[in-house]
Amino acid sequence: MEMDGASSSGSSGAAQPSLFLSKRSRAFYRFTQQNLPACRPALTPTLVITVFLLVGITFLPFGIICFRAAESVDELVLRYDTECIPENYRGNKVAYIKDDSISKKCTLTVKLRNQMKAPIYVYYELDNYYQNHRRYVKSRSDRQLLHGLQYKDTSSCRPIESSNGLPVLPCGLIAWSLFNDTFTFDVKAGKLNVNRKNISWKSDRDHKFGNDVYPFNFQNDTLIGGGKLDPSIPLSEQEDLIVWMRVAALPNFRKLYGVIENDIDADEVITIQLSNNYNTYSFGGKKKLVLTTSNWLGGKNNFLGLSYIATGFCSILVAILFALIHVKFPRPHRDASYLHWNRKSSATSR
Amino acid sequence: MASERPLLIPSPRTPAPDSTPIPFPTVAAARRSSSSSSRRKTAPPHFRNLSVENVDFSAEMHSSTKTTFSIETISRSASKQQPQPSVPRYGSRRSESVNMGSSHKEISDADARLVYINDPERSNSPVRHPNNSINTSKYSILTFLPKNLFEQFHRVAYIYFLILAGINQIPQLGVFTPAASILPLAFVLGVTAVKDAYEDYRRHRSDRTENSRSASVLSSSSEFQPKPWKDIRVGEVIRVQSNETIPCDLVLLATSDPTGVAYVQTINLDGESNLKTRYAKQETLSKPPETLSAIIRCEKPNRNIYGFHGNVEIEGSKQRVSLGPSNVILRGCDLKNTAWVVGVAVYTGKDTKVMLNSSGAQWKRSRLETHMNRETIILAVALFVECALVTILAGAWLGRHRDKLDDLIYYRKRDFSDRDVGKYDYYGIGWEIVFTFFMSVILFQVMIPIALYISMELVRLGQAFFMIQDESLFDKERGNRLQCRALNINEDLGQIKYVFSDKTGTLTENKMEFRCASVVGVDYSGDPATAADTGEEGVSVAVGEQIWRPKMSVKTNPELLSLLRTGERTEKGDKAREFLLALATCNTIVPILTETDDPSIKLIDYQGESPDEQALLYAAAAYGFTLIERTSGHIVIDIFGQKQRFDILGLHEFDSDRKRMSVIVGFPDKTVKVFVKGADSSMFGVVDKTLNVDIVQATKSHLHTYSTLGLRTLVIGMREMSNIEFEEWHSSYEKANTALFGRGSLLKAVAMNIENNVSILGASGIEDKLQQGVPEAIESLRRAGIKVWVLTGDKQETAISIGFSSNLLTGDMTQIIINNNSKESCKKSLADALAITKKMTGKSPVGHNSIGVDSKKTPLALIIDGTSLVYILETELEEELFEVATSCSVVLCCRVAPLQKAGIVCGIVMLILIKSRTDDMTLAIGDGANDVSMIQKANVGIGISGREGRQAVMASDFAIGQFRFLVPLLLVHGHWNYQRMAYMILYNFYRNSILVFVLFWYVLYTAFSLTTAISEWSSVLYSVIYTALPTIVVGILDKDLSKKTLLKYPQLYGSGQREERYNLKLFILTMMDSVWQSLAIFFIPFLAYRHSTIDGSGIGDLWILAVVLMVNLHLGMDIFRWNWIAHTSIWGCIVATVICVIIIDALPILPGFMAIFHVMGTWVFWFCLLAILIAGLIPRFVTKAVTEFFMPNDIQIARELEKFGNLNEDPPVSEITTRTLSNHQQQTMP
Repeated sequence: MEMDGASSSGSSGAAQPSLFLSKRSRAFYRFTQQNLPACRPALTPTLVITVFLLVGITFLPFGIICFRAAESVDELVLRYDTECIPENYRGNKVAYIKDDSISKKCTLTVKLRNQMKAPIYVYYELDNYYQNHRRYVKSRSDRQLLHGLQYKDTSSCRPIESSNGLPVLPCGLIAWSLFNDTFTFDVKAGKLNVNRKNISWKSDRDHKFGNDVYPFNFQNDTLIGGGKLDPSIPLSEQEDLIVWMRVAALPNFRKLYGVIENDIDADEVITIQLSNNYNTYSFGGKKKLVLTTSNWLGGKNNFLGLSYIATGFCSILVAILFALIHVKFPRPHRDASYLHWNRKSSATSR
Repeated sequence: MASERPLLIPSPRTPAPDSTPIPFPTVAAARRSSSSSSRRKTAPPHFRNLSVENVDFSAEMHSSTKTTFSIETISRSASKQQPQPSVPRYGSRRSESVNMGSSHKEISDADARLVYINDPERSNSPVRHPNNSINTSKYSILTFLPKNLFEQFHRVAYIYFLILAGINQIPQLGVFTPAASILPLAFVLGVTAVKDAYEDYRRHRSDRTENSRSASVLSSSSEFQPKPWKDIRVGEVIRVQSNETIPCDLVLLATSDPTGVAYVQTINLDGESNLKTRYAKQETLSKPPETLSAIIRCEKPNRNIYGFHGNVEIEGSKQRVSLGPSNVILRGCDLKNTAWVVGVAVYTGKDTKVMLNSSGAQWKRSRLETHMNRETIILAVALFVECALVTILAGAWLGRHRDKLDDLIYYRKRDFSDRDVGKYDYYGIGWEIVFTFFMSVILFQVMIPIALYISMELVRLGQAFFMIQDESLFDKERGNRLQCRALNINEDLGQIKYVFSDKTGTLTENKMEFRCASVVGVDYSGDPATAADTGEEGVSVAVGEQIWRPKMSVKTNPELLSLLRTGERTEKGDKAREFLLALATCNTIVPILTETDDPSIKLIDYQGESPDEQALLYAAAAYGFTLIERTSGHIVIDIFGQKQRFDILGLHEFDSDRKRMSVIVGFPDKTVKVFVKGADSSMFGVVDKTLNVDIVQATKSHLHTYSTLGLRTLVIGMREMSNIEFEEWHSSYEKANTALFGRGSLLKAVAMNIENNVSILGASGIEDKLQQGVPEAIESLRRAGIKVWVLTGDKQETAISIGFSSNLLTGDMTQIIINNNSKESCKKSLADALAITKKMTGKSPVGHNSIGVDSKKTPLALIIDGTSLVYILETELEEELFEVATSCSVVLCCRVAPLQKAGIVCGIVMLILIKSRTDDMTLAIGDGANDVSMIQKANVGIGISGREGRQAVMASDFAIGQFRFLVPLLLVHGHWNYQRMAYMILYNFYRNSILVFVLFWYVLYTAFSLTTAISEWSSVLYSVIYTALPTIVVGILDKDLSKKTLLKYPQLYGSGQREERYNLKLFILTMMDSVWQSLAIFFIPFLAYRHSTIDGSGIGDLWILAVVLMVNLHLGMDIFRWNWIAHTSIWGCIVATVICVIIIDALPILPGFMAIFHVMGTWVFWFCLLAILIAGLIPRFVTKAVTEFFMPNDIQIARELEKFGNLNEDPPVSEITTRTLSNHQQQTMP
């Protein structure tokens, strides 16, 4: 067989075209003959075992660190959607929440077990609330939020596009369903100050919500979805709306309500005054109030730590398994007699 | 004559010398034409007449001497005006016999095209013929868009995507914004359209240059004036100068040669570089074209470039003169060695034969693509299941929330914006379910990979580029590269199980060499000596001061040579001289002189259509019988320095029924003899039985010896003709020749009549040398598990001997020979053969799939001849034949009769047999017109672009220069192409399904409302930008094994034959892998971000980045060779993805504004990404490692060998084990 130009394309010995060729055309020649220098990774036992060991010994500490980080977060979750309904209305929650004549005020007390260090984030958490529902997600107009009433094409906002013949601003289901429960926190020392500024993304305030766009004709309909907006404050400063408008990814989500900038000592009793206005009862959605500290990894979720530990553990296990098998039943590497036609013939010749 | 060769169309075969032959009989001729000056200009000064001064009897024919070039009409016109009645024009005769291949029916006026010479107006009425402009382009600017789109939408997948894009435009179903939904399809269509447009632009440009070339056309003012090619019309008279290209198909009217001969080179037409002779008719030759008024009736335009059928009727004479293919010169030919020709345009523009033949190879679909369609259907089913699942769940959800939907905050069925309370975008649960279904189809549509088709096209293009560039497929001798004529079956080259090969010209060089002769019963095959050994100068001829020498020297037998020289007066000597005279005369070869460096020495180059005849002539010259001149009426032979002139009184050309040819020669002493030459089977039938039986017997036994040596044999006979006989023959010959109807069969009858009672002069043995590297190539193919079937016209002995010399047969093979003359015996021997195969393979041979692996069994070889094959097929024993044939590793079909029918029988029937009963891939390789049907029928057709014309190449999918290139083509490129394409298809399925699964998991958490967290633009760009390039690069460039390894271990080819790289199992594994990875991608962030403030766009960005990283790293894990191109494409794609995601999130108008930056700013994001990638890839990595550890396949072992440098050491057990296990029994069946 003719073998010219057929040398192995490892970086070691590539075919040498005529020496007088320029460097560039030599490179092109190697390209056309598919002889470019290349790295050829091979799954040798050593490599495989090393890779798994490496994964194992990086993942285990990572996992432990993550786990510890998640554990170090103090979190207080308070479900209040049933507790804040008077006993006599427990049978018909929807009627209660829809009845404007009944006061929605509600007081809860909770005793802290550990000290919580500032900043303490206050979230409300909704469950079984499909903020990612297709109809819901689409029902907004980003241009209107930025440009205000001068932007007329708000057909994407249906069914909350206009009411009483006038356009609604902000339009759309998302804005209409603005969460409107409010919380205040009291401790023995007095009222806890909740900072409700800068709870939304700065990029949203600056670029997505107009600073000269004011709410108009909002929640003027027969069916009120949620919170109302102060028509004298521009949208870019309506931070609750901005937070709400950043649609959650999952049907179980938290939204930032505010930040408490004081530490709360252990065994402190917090009295929470809340107005339970928001209707999740019609679809069985849960409402929770969350007070949590935070660290570099975020909230109290040990899943990542656990998954890292599991992965690392498995990797080390696999590495050991491989090593054992390799010692017990070694396959001579790079042995041509393992090629199937050689195997067959050696079997018959014996 | 190629008597042993299946010859369907008398296609010329000659070696291709690159030298420019000097003009042969160029009698100084003056024409009354108006442009004699230009003629003078073009005629080179060294024009010489080949006729020689000391020919004492040539006065009446040639009065010219060398370098004569006079304006006066010399004896030429006289000899033309009164041609000797006893010398029929060779030219006309030839045309008739050439015509025999085609039909002989007379054409009726209705079927004919009427061409009025020099009267384009009448010629073009009532039917207007197209003008001579050609248009090879497919589109014009106006038609491009509709036509191109129409062509592209022939792909069903594109229609599917179009329909989905259409559905998406319905407001209720709009999953994507209109622009996003159309983008992928538009992108794919756009890329293809740009490619097509560029190709078409190039065609337009070349058409324009072609159309504006200038031709010299006879105008109404009786002058030749320049005119662009495109304006030439049928009926116009055109003059072509030497070395010019013929602008359209012309019927020759006159040439610069007084006998009407013209030489053309048809290299552009059929790739042959030897000169072909064409003739102008006597009747038109004599009149100047401007005064000629005649009607040509010819057949309607057709594709046959070797056929033309028509006649010319000159006004004023009742006679119709027939026209054959030798009277036309076709567009694209070059005029050579002829000062000028004048012809009338009969076919122009798109009617010309070359244009009618310009269609490409027929469309084939590769095996892999067929399998791919099966998997596509599986994916479609999976898609349907997914959509149905979503639909059902959505229906259930809607049903459960039915009464809440009105004021459900995130649903809000009721719409108060109008005065009357209506429903917003809600049409009842039934409709909602239907909508959900369609929307989910739209959302999950990429399950069917849209980019796969265009990727495959691009990959094949790239693969073809590398195949064409490959040096080991480059024919240095002729400068031919591989031609990829079909661009959609590259990967089939890696799965071939059967190779059907023609012998002559494919395995052999088709370059004949005279080896031995048997003259009147005496064998002269002993030790041949070259002329140099004997010190003889006998191979050269002195002509004046010049020495002419045959181009090729042949080894001579000293015994025969001395007998020829000395034994002039003995009977034996006479016979020997007659034998050689027969060799020198009984042919259609034209000697052409070529220059050498030494001006006093010229080489005689025998140009002709049959390489056998050339070999015989070179042999004759070596023995002192040198043909130095041929004109249409006579030949001049130099016999030991003495020039003698013989009149060629008649010639019956070779045809495949008679399998012989004969020539009637008038000797200088006025005697007339018939020399006959042909295949032994046909010649012994016409031998004079009363003559010496011993000679016949001796000759027969010599022939047997020759054929066992693998030589091609010819028998030469002679017969003297009395005057009465001659007159009788002559009158019938003339009659047949001028007959209007059935000329071919009449001529055949005349030939049969004269070709009998011949006495045997002897026989010749010609060697057709094997091409370089053929035995090694066949050995490699055999070791690669490819079964080689060779079809040959040779006798059985010749076939077997060639089989051995080409390594097709080896000593350890058991030969099964089926060679019978009756149906019954055929049946019996087939049954016996079946029993043998059963015994040998040790099991029922029906399980054909495993046979290729059974190397430990004795290999079987089947040798079957054409007649037996026909009998077997007639008696419906196909099943048995198939079983026998498939259990044999080699099949030799010999004695394939050159009849069209039988020729097809062997190649095609065997092919169809294989194709109809198994799925195994077949490859046919051949070089001649007779292989065309085989090449077209096989899964892969390969043409040898050699000496034999371009018919095979035109029909082929790939064209290579030599047989041995088949080995790198199949074993290296085929293997690579197959494994690359297989991987690419699987990868594309995986790549798209992983995204669909991620989307699907998310849908389960959106109340089944088909929301996507991943931005719609990202999901649209996913398959066209984010992940498209690396798979194409890998599909073109990645190599699992180096060329060296693949050639060293041909057995590695088996991976393609066994479909190891693409099968249902692998597909399912890949899909399972993609499900696992999608789970990792979806659920790790899902769980990590549960109870968090994460917004949809942020987690969507994480998902899409994870998907892209995952699929690219997955690809990276499977790359065998990381060169800089692979690095660039993979890392480049990842970077491009990040950039795209960032750009998408930087648009304030999209809801996901800045989400990527917020999410990237947290540690969770990066931890998630790392966890996803590791967790996702671990199962695949483990599987890979485990298989490579414990159940490595050959390719993996070979890769280890290659990487760790043990490749050059031979393994302890030789891989050629079949040899060591040989058992030398040979079974020959009666």
